[in-house]
Amino acid sequence: MMRDLILRAAPLLALVALIVAISLLAGMADTVTTRRVILCLVNVVCVVGLYIFMGNSGVLNFSSVGFMAIGAYVAALLTMPAGPKGMFLPDLPVWLAATELPALAGPFLGALFCAIVALAVGLPIMRLSGIAAAIATFSLMFICYIVLGNWTSMTGGQISLMGLKSYVGLWTACAFAVGAVAVAFAYQETRWALALRASREDAVAARASGIRVARLRLGAFVLGAAVCGAGGALYGHFQGTLRVESFYLDPTFLLVTMLVVGGMRSLTGAVVGCLAISLLTEVLRLVEVGIPLPGTGAVVMVAPGFGDVVLAALMLLILLFRPNGITGGREILGNLAGSGHRHDQV
Amino acid sequence: MLTAQAVSVHFAGVRAIEDVSVALAPREILGLVGPNGAGKTTMVNVLSGFQAPHAGGVTLNGTAVTGRSSDWLARHGVVRTFQAVRLFRKLTVSENVEASLVSVGSGRGAARRKAMEILSYLGISHRAHLQGDALNYGDERRVGIARALALNPAFLLLDEPAAGMNVAEAEALADLIRRIRDDFGCGILLIEHNMALITRICERMQVMASGRTIAVGTPAEVFENPVFRSAYLGTGAL
Repeated sequence: MMRDLILRAAPLLALVALIVAISLLAGMADTVTTRRVILCLVNVVCVVGLYIFMGNSGVLNFSSVGFMAIGAYVAALLTMPAGPKGMFLPDLPVWLAATELPALAGPFLGALFCAIVALAVGLPIMRLSGIAAAIATFSLMFICYIVLGNWTSMTGGQISLMGLKSYVGLWTACAFAVGAVAVAFAYQETRWALALRASREDAVAARASGIRVARLRLGAFVLGAAVCGAGGALYGHFQGTLRVESFYLDPTFLLVTMLVVGGMRSLTGAVVGCLAISLLTEVLRLVEVGIPLPGTGAVVMVAPGFGDVVLAALMLLILLFRPNGITGGREILGNLAGSGHRHDQV
Repeated sequence: MLTAQAVSVHFAGVRAIEDVSVALAPREILGLVGPNGAGKTTMVNVLSGFQAPHAGGVTLNGTAVTGRSSDWLARHGVVRTFQAVRLFRKLTVSENVEASLVSVGSGRGAARRKAMEILSYLGISHRAHLQGDALNYGDERRVGIARALALNPAFLLLDEPAAGMNVAEAEALADLIRRIRDDFGCGILLIEHNMALITRICERMQVMASGRTIAVGTPAEVFENPVFRSAYLGTGAL
């Protein structure tokens, strides 16, 4: 029994070990590298949030960044000190202007608020499939962007919101990344996630198997939105500044690329995709800035925007030649559980 | 009793079935036969909630269930298979069956154990950990049936389960269908072109052509029916 449990949890344990190992290494690196790793870990939270819905349901989802934005602003509004809040948002309702909760409450309340919003908007959307569902989630992201960018009294509109409490360090980000992975793993082991994955393979056959597809999709959508909301709150407090422009097309494309490149059918794919793309974007960023070649005086440099082109091309290549991503849709050490069961059978 | 009364379905003005009634009793095996395009699958779609009838209605044990969703009907005992099987191809064979079990409330552990029981019953437990897309055609069909049995059907609607099978495989399938009826106590509606299979295991058969019923009765009665003989054997047979 215990052996079976450990074998089943092997992918989770491996992913947690990977995240902790990266954090340990980052702790020994310079400040710039450490900050890059923190951002990567925050992205892990968001990509895992995206995976919970998209990976298990197979429905394309572009709304994650919208929920990140909601989580970020909710956390900021509830935890910002009254001083900067009054300066940047003078028209806030009195009760909100006076509210200053502990910083760590931010991600959790951001997640809770996102879950409520996702429940409300997801009810009609989860009945859609295919391209209609994808367009609907894209519209959601767009609506979030427009509303947050124009709700001046609550968000400051297009101006930057500064003065967010800075508490997202390496180990905070690591803890949330591990937490997000644990939540996603626990969810994918549930009977609801299994039924949802069946609907991902064939929605018609799933209905013939008694599966309530729309309801299960809604559950995963709400959970995924909550995790993305927490990720957004972390992102805002890591940057210390919020701009609605930070939650639009670029991060939407980046998160989807991370998941697709890693392999959207597995949690391992979500984490590995995020790590791989984070590393690649960092290398591309350095090349865009210019890397001096030692002893030659020459500098290797590419045109601005080259990194975006490479990312798009990479996604295209993965879709063409390895549609299940780097991991092939498999979990790391996932075969251990399978072999355990074969043993049980004998 | 699962019944469809005076059901009509039209697609963009084209009549798929017109004023067709079907009655499937508990523990009965009813063969639904007819040429391609006769409306057999459309009738199964209506009975299983995948197609709303434009006229007529469906009752389950006396209760009107017209308009109920396909997943509701599946959870309440009206279970169907597909001509094209439609396995969950990236899930394992066991998970294909577990998906049905969890939809009716089983936990993961219980579903895993029950799935193995059902796969053993069908003689394919050794395939449990293979992915759905790694199976041969015959095993695919058995997994499709296993998935249906996991819902503990009161009425099982099988859409051409013997399609593509050779004579020996079809005979084995006939034995299996009878065994399922006896062990699960369910009524079975069988769409099939294989007349030998139909006459071997069906207590009654209903013949459809061009969206209408042209004959109903025991196989012996139907084979004596002049309309059936005309439709199947040509006018010279009359």
